[in-house]
Amino acid sequence: MKPAAYGVVLIWLMLAAGPLAWTFMLSLRDYVDAFAIPLHLLAPLTFDHYRNLWQAGGFTGNALNTVLLTSGTVTVSLSIGSLAGYALSRTTARWGLVLLMVALAFRAMPHAALLPSFVYFFEAIGVRGSIFPLMLVLIAVNQPFTIWMMRAFFLAIPRDIDDAAMVDGCTRFQAFRYVVLPVMGPGLVTTGLFSFLLAYNDFLLSSALTNAENMTMPVAIASVIQADSETLLMQGIAGSVSLTIPLLILVAIFQRRIVAGLTQGAVK
Amino acid sequence: MRLAAFIQFSAPSFGVMALLLALPLLYAIYLSLIQCTDVLELVTVRLQTPFGIEELTTQRAKVGVDGLPEQFCKFVWLDQYLSVLSSEFAKALQFTMLYVLVTVPLVIIGGLILALAVNQLPVGIRGFAIGAAILPFIVTPLVGALSVKWLFRDDGLVTQLVSAFGMQIYWMAQAWSARLLVILYGIWHSLPFAFIVLFAGLQSVPKDALEAASLDGASTTQKLWYVTLPHLGPLVTFILLIHTMDSYKLFEPVVVLTQGTFTESVQFVTYSILLDEGNPFKASAAAILTTIGIGVLLIPMLRRAVREHKEGAA
Repeated sequence: MKPAAYGVVLIWLMLAAGPLAWTFMLSLRDYVDAFAIPLHLLAPLTFDHYRNLWQAGGFTGNALNTVLLTSGTVTVSLSIGSLAGYALSRTTARWGLVLLMVALAFRAMPHAALLPSFVYFFEAIGVRGSIFPLMLVLIAVNQPFTIWMMRAFFLAIPRDIDDAAMVDGCTRFQAFRYVVLPVMGPGLVTTGLFSFLLAYNDFLLSSALTNAENMTMPVAIASVIQADSETLLMQGIAGSVSLTIPLLILVAIFQRRIVAGLTQGAVK
Repeated sequence: MRLAAFIQFSAPSFGVMALLLALPLLYAIYLSLIQCTDVLELVTVRLQTPFGIEELTTQRAKVGVDGLPEQFCKFVWLDQYLSVLSSEFAKALQFTMLYVLVTVPLVIIGGLILALAVNQLPVGIRGFAIGAAILPFIVTPLVGALSVKWLFRDDGLVTQLVSAFGMQIYWMAQAWSARLLVILYGIWHSLPFAFIVLFAGLQSVPKDALEAASLDGASTTQKLWYVTLPHLGPLVTFILLIHTMDSYKLFEPVVVLTQGTFTESVQFVTYSILLDEGNPFKASAAAILTTIGIGVLLIPMLRRAVREHKEGAA
């Protein structure tokens, strides 16, 4: 049994990490070495593509846009999502379940279904292209899974502690803010991670709703690659690696939380 | 929790969802029933040419008082739907369904095999294996799809390795290989999710049931078939539900790998009618059809999930 198990895991790890590792390798080569027939096994290393991308290519601006977008989305999404998740975890009313089902339906809705309305409306009021309307849209599409996940974490905290706090004279909000929330650390971090990933990884909504000045990193990568130039293609490859490195760090630090978050829905 | 408090707590979140999810969907229904065109006016332009003054009558978009082109809108009812259904949307729906139906079983079986394998590893190295194994699910889908594309370019690593075995395949230049590539990407991307959920399930298989089976002389295969797999049943339903939702949203690999030739997806078609064709009305019809499609797909699964949940509780 054991050798077979090692074999399976090894094969999957190669398949999983291989494409990303190869992309990393491409990013350090010149175009003529990166895509050569026959393959060049050894080639001189170069950091030019990173230098071109970050210094001349204006990728710093794209990175700042991504930082602004993700931090805003995560903050607001968690704030309003934790309030609703708490309420849903503490209600016994039947329509609490109805609201959860409505949220699940929105979770299933493909994002492109929202785009025609947003593009048409944002165009009409003249805000299409900037970061803030996009942030609002991402906060909204984040809500369904945020409240589901938050609710599951709140359910694990016994109601008795809110009741005790309220007997001692706290209002419902004070009980939430000063008694329940402080023990919700792991839940907030886990849900925050998934909100972050959704905003950070988004391409569909961001590419449709931002203009050239406000492009986030994924949109910028897609746009340089489309340009059909070898220099820009190599910059796009360097950009892809740059975009992936923070995610690798995130997985290294928060792996347990990510795994817990992914399995959360299965248990509850 | 009292009703007043419940409403206060949930109002911001559900307000945002009503305003930015429900309302746009309703607005899309309205947009899908109309068609607007720029109002044209006839103008006479006087041109100074070397041969004297020429008068030219031509059409141009009429500009309203707000400086934007004036639009003339009329209800066309279901015309947009008919036009979308008879053209690209039908093909896109076909490929999206193929993608969902092919990836679902492969992702679940692959995830199960990987979960069983990782479960055999010593605890010390499991952490590292899990972290590396879930990368395809965490990495930005655009980047994941691009990484695959660079491997399968005509001068890419995989293409050259395959051609070393005597098969020259131009992956993105023909229907079967382009479709295969998008499906392979889908399995690569989604397998970690099934793996993680099933691996977590394996940790909670009742030990005493396995021991009892061993004492009764059950083989490893029999224990897997009669004890472990039934325990994982509800998790498979969960994966089925989530993976169906997510794979129906197929978008990035279609954009990156084939730009819609040979492989289309319903999200891609909506996006492309909206932005490439520049027709928000027709795109709205595609958006509504996309939403109806996922509803039709999910309702039987949700029913099954609710039934299993009730049986589990009883």
